[in-house]
Amino acid sequence: MQRALEARGIPTVSLSVALDVTEQIKPPRAVFLPFMMGHHFGVPYHKELQRRVILEALDHLVDAKESGEVKFPPLSWAKARKEGIAIKKALDIK
Amino acid sequence: MTETSKPRQLRSDVWQTVNERYPGSMISKEDLVPLASLDKPLSEAKLTFISSAGVQPVGTMPFDTVHPVGDYTFRKVPSDSKPEDLEIHQLKYPTVGAIQDLNVIFPIERLQELAADGVIGGLTDNFFSFIGYNMDPEQMELKLAEDIADAVVKDHADIALLCPA
Repeated sequence: MQRALEARGIPTVSLSVALDVTEQIKPPRAVFLPFMMGHHFGVPYHKELQRRVILEALDHLVDAKESGEVKFPPLSWAKARKEGIAIKKALDIK
Repeated sequence: MTETSKPRQLRSDVWQTVNERYPGSMISKEDLVPLASLDKPLSEAKLTFISSAGVQPVGTMPFDTVHPVGDYTFRKVPSDSKPEDLEIHQLKYPTVGAIQDLNVIFPIERLQELAADGVIGGLTDNFFSFIGYNMDPEQMELKLAEDIADAVVKDHADIALLCPA
């Protein structure tokens, strides 16, 4: 899909939680997140993390020099979950 | 970043597992495509979002999640939608987070905020949604990808953010 868009002159960036799949399909630009499937932008109610993931991707769209370049932001699922639990507790959500 | 210091994915061997179970269903490429270039600052660029998470407006034809070969249609999701206007029809990824907060897989509110803050120039009228668990890579590449790319061009996107669920 990214290839079809780049061919039409539209720069693209994708998010991946499966690096092996990314390495097989070689998208033009990708950002790898060591997160759970279905949770590419982080955890519920963690607006700051969700926004950061998008900004990491947009920076990569602008900065990537070579096709196939994968970016590895220094994020961890354990930390995201921990922060998410604290946010939910503060919001009084189970 | 060196090979050894790469962070690890939580679920290992996704490509190999699916390819063993459904031979020929997974795409593998040897080549790289040339990069399109952005000829304006991000703050002036109109962004579209493309997702395989099966998110669709309430009341639209549900994705066919049980078809043996897959569903190669897509839905337009108005970019000014609220999470409560949308629902998920997809079977193949954990939706535990998305059910609480759709933004974990379809960050429509965060993208609206980035546009309002001027970080990006704006959003296309529509985002684009499909289900990614399709068994026929040719239909995926030659029909669905091309159909969505044409629709994205019609919506005057300058840049595209994609999230394969």
